[in-house]
Amino acid sequence: MRRKVRSRVLLTFICFIFGTMLGFSYQHTKEEEPRRQWSDSEWKKEYEYRSALIALQKENRSLKQQLVKKQAELTEWEKKLAEQQSNEVGLAKEAEQLRMHVGKARVKGKGVAVTLSDSSYIPSEASATDYIVHEQHVWKVVHELLISGAEAVAINGQRISHRSYIVCNGPVIEVDGTQHAAPFVISAIGDPDVLSSALELAGGVVDQLVEDHIDVKVEKQKNIVLDPVFAPKP
Amino acid sequence: MWLPLLGMLLGFAVGVLAGWEIPDEYSNYLSIAILAAFDTLIGGWRAHLQRTYDELVFITGFFFNIILATTLTFLGIHLGVDLYLAAVFAFGVRLFQNIAIIRRLWLAEWAERRQNREKS
Repeated sequence: MRRKVRSRVLLTFICFIFGTMLGFSYQHTKEEEPRRQWSDSEWKKEYEYRSALIALQKENRSLKQQLVKKQAELTEWEKKLAEQQSNEVGLAKEAEQLRMHVGKARVKGKGVAVTLSDSSYIPSEASATDYIVHEQHVWKVVHELLISGAEAVAINGQRISHRSYIVCNGPVIEVDGTQHAAPFVISAIGDPDVLSSALELAGGVVDQLVEDHIDVKVEKQKNIVLDPVFAPKP
Repeated sequence: MWLPLLGMLLGFAVGVLAGWEIPDEYSNYLSIAILAAFDTLIGGWRAHLQRTYDELVFITGFFFNIILATTLTFLGIHLGVDLYLAAVFAFGVRLFQNIAIIRRLWLAEWAERRQNREKS
């Protein structure tokens, strides 16, 4: 009797396990079912539509990219066109002006001429160097002229560009490799009033030069003609 | 007789309601295990009808078959051979045979009973 009960219980247990597995599997399959409802033909159709869509999207994208490119090109063209139109008017003028500024063209206008000469009175040979014009005096004048708005500057008729140099070379000074001796005439084109008054400020350049025993003469001139930087020598 | 059936129903309810989750890769193992268990159960029933039922054989067979079937499936998946088909085939064939035997035993019993009734 006891054996029979035991076997019953075991059988029930086994049946319980089997039932659990069945139930679990049933539930699992039921959960999966919605995913499996698609038939083959539906899948095929879906695939077709999807690939068509993807192809369309791809095409769209490339077309869009093309459009963007073309638009960029168009803007570029328009910009160029506008520039050309506005430039054509002032281009020649501007080029001429720029050439004047960099010293590639002959310039003409009113301005000042500053003449620096060695002192006419030299007390002794030993202190002669204190009474002659040095290159720093020329610098001072040139800088002052440029700062006060001179548009073109020349030393003894030689045009100074933004790359020019002035060095002391014994009794003479050298401007861009060309030697000049005193007296130095520094001519500048610009507003004559502004330039001369800038030079003649109290304690300004002219005063300092006079302190250094240099004869300074500032002249306003109506018509100054300056040659280009590397003009052929006359 | 009712207790095992009750147990099965209870187990079914537990299985449905418990809401366990297994990944899809393991659903193969589950179906094979169910097949093995079902085969063993039917085999036990047949043995019972043939009066050759042995409890030890039945219980060990139940678990051993499940484990063997799942192991075979596992091996098959990892070797790239569909070994679970062998399990499905073996258990399926045995299932049908056992059910056929049970049917014949029932038929024989039924025929015997009818003969007895006609005699009396």
